[in-house]
Amino acid sequence: MAYGVAAGHDEHAHHPTGWRRWVNSTNHKDIGTMYIVLALIAALIGGIMSWMIRGELAQPGVTFIDNYQFYNVLVTAHGFIMVFFVVMPALIGGFGNWFVPLMIGAPDMAFPRMNNISLWLTTAGFVLLLIAAFVGAGPGTGWTVYPPLSSATFHPDAAVDFAILSLHVAGAGSILGAINFITTILNMRAPGMTLHRMPLFVWSILVTAFLLLLALPVLAGGLTMLLTDRNFGTTFFEVAGGGDPVLWQHLFWFFGHPEVYIIVLPAFGIISQIVSTFSRKPVFGYLGMAYAMVAIGFVGFIVWAHHMYTTGLGVDTRAYFTLATLIIAVPTGIKIFSWLATMWGGSIELKAPMLYAIGFIFLFVVGGVTGVALANAGIDFAMHDTYYVVAHFHYVMAIAAIFAMFGGYLYWIGKMSGKQYNEPLAKAQFWVFFVGVNVLFFPQHFLGLAGMPRRIPDYPDAFVGWNMVSSVGALITMIGTLMFFYLIWHTFRYGKTAEANPWGEGATTLEWTVPSPAPFHTHEQLPVIGPTGQPRAGSGAVSPAE
Amino acid sequence: MNQGTRTKSTKTALILAGVVAGMVGLSFASVPLYDLFCRVTGYGGTPRTGPVAEMPEASDHTIAVRFDANVNSALPWQFRPVQREVRVRAGEEHLVHYEVVNVSDEPLVGTAVYSVTPFMSAPYFNKIQCFCFVEQRLEPGESMSMPVVFFVDPEIANDRDAREVTQITLSYTFHPAKQERRIGTGRTTEPISVAATAAGRDENQTTSN
Repeated sequence: MAYGVAAGHDEHAHHPTGWRRWVNSTNHKDIGTMYIVLALIAALIGGIMSWMIRGELAQPGVTFIDNYQFYNVLVTAHGFIMVFFVVMPALIGGFGNWFVPLMIGAPDMAFPRMNNISLWLTTAGFVLLLIAAFVGAGPGTGWTVYPPLSSATFHPDAAVDFAILSLHVAGAGSILGAINFITTILNMRAPGMTLHRMPLFVWSILVTAFLLLLALPVLAGGLTMLLTDRNFGTTFFEVAGGGDPVLWQHLFWFFGHPEVYIIVLPAFGIISQIVSTFSRKPVFGYLGMAYAMVAIGFVGFIVWAHHMYTTGLGVDTRAYFTLATLIIAVPTGIKIFSWLATMWGGSIELKAPMLYAIGFIFLFVVGGVTGVALANAGIDFAMHDTYYVVAHFHYVMAIAAIFAMFGGYLYWIGKMSGKQYNEPLAKAQFWVFFVGVNVLFFPQHFLGLAGMPRRIPDYPDAFVGWNMVSSVGALITMIGTLMFFYLIWHTFRYGKTAEANPWGEGATTLEWTVPSPAPFHTHEQLPVIGPTGQPRAGSGAVSPAE
Repeated sequence: MNQGTRTKSTKTALILAGVVAGMVGLSFASVPLYDLFCRVTGYGGTPRTGPVAEMPEASDHTIAVRFDANVNSALPWQFRPVQREVRVRAGEEHLVHYEVVNVSDEPLVGTAVYSVTPFMSAPYFNKIQCFCFVEQRLEPGESMSMPVVFFVDPEIANDRDAREVTQITLSYTFHPAKQERRIGTGRTTEPISVAATAAGRDENQTTSN
């Protein structure tokens, strides 16, 4: 089998086979693979939900969903699934598990068994969420779960309780995963791999893990209050008992805003690796790039109330949150311009991962610009809860993150599977997908500016045109998605054998020094990293020549 | 992983677990902190309550104070302000009354919550005496007159956000008092005694205007 090339044949004793290899896995690569499979399954389910939403919205009136609570459930489940069970498992659990140990020269994660628990907690959370959709009328609260809509008065059956439990369980999995990543990165770097020599993807996972560690417990606390409000008569969020529903919004968004960066920071990391590789240059302004992510993570915790401008905040409070939010544009700008500067003068190879990276930068800038507009409390009063907001956050965190996932997948699939994808097919897939998402989401800016509210399954005739365009975009995106799944199948069926480093001299990080597919055990003899960030000759167990 | 790394890793993980526990603690601590914050700053229309040590000098700044009354639809009470509006001079103490009637044929307990709008005037609205957050029990058909003693702090004229305010609305909403719920079946927000009338989905029903 493929893993035979690994050094140390006695290790086969610790290499379970069959279903035990996967279910009881403590191997960071196998666990990463399972996270990616989970994300792919969840993406298909969440995607089908989004296509149903766009199908309903293609025309005014009832197109095919006559049960509006069901529409609400679709919107809710789509949000939850995409955030918690697609983007986070793929970017953090999947690529993070696979490549953080490889990139820092560690043999595995610090706590391999805890890694296994994280995976299965996340999976259990996903199952609980799916169950929630089939309990009673389903959770139709939106992913923000605002009371009083989420209270026992308006969602009397157990659907919301299942959704809360789902987030609790998945959140616990993510917190354990975050502890694991931080411990691994802080304690298990190869000799010479100082913090300031770590690849930017590792930096992005480190910052993300800290955000998870600080933000998710607050969500857990808020969810627990909501659970006891619903079931045990507490009144944290119930006015009748002296509580305040706005407190939920504060707790939720104290988690929710960092969550946005939890999603997009690993994407930043992947894009940095890809841009550097395919420009054949080290990334421009490495330290600035790393600390820009730290700055984004820090400022991300003090801007949460920009989601709550219309709850009756005072003028001064709104002024503060507007200013703090606008400040995020500075470190974000550092990242965008550093990517452009990395490409500037580089010998750029427009392979499919690079196309996705450039696509990511384009989408992120479009979403960032609308974000700067929305950050202003005065403008937000007009835009709040319209499709302008929907377009903004889909550009900036949804499809941008998907582009990073696709880019990362194509960039690393040779390393993960030992099979290289088909370049023309991947490029065709990119263009279909790129056109699709833009036709899908760009018109939603116009709908939002015209005042179309979000989360409503019907609309006046005035909004007919752009809604149809948007739904056609969803159809193109669906074709692009199916092409991606075909590409996966094609890679495994017909893919050429991948070299240890298929990208040439631009790919300088440690994962390219091990064979493709990466053996079951890697870096058993630690590589020694020199001042350039490259391993010294003769160090490490395996070299590309093997 | 060698022994040294293992010890170090365990230590790191324990510290990080401590951070998680701390953040969970903070999220619960935020409940009383948020309440305190609202009362200190008048956020979300939280007026000042309780006796004041010293009444400020009355000024010529006059403000219209309007009174609003609402009842949760799960509570079969009638609730109205005796006077719809009074004009007051800032710094002058005023006594007004609300009237509440239990129109059902069973004894019921309710609690009133209140707010002041516009929100920026809330820190200057002082309620010296009121019936809020005290459970009120009314026998079938019983009516009760409920006094509110308040004054508007003349400092309102010096607040750059609130000095333009010419009209303040004090709003009360009566909710059924929270009672012990039956765990497991306890999905109703209403006390057991009025559960039969709780079919309506509308949270509030205005009876005064």
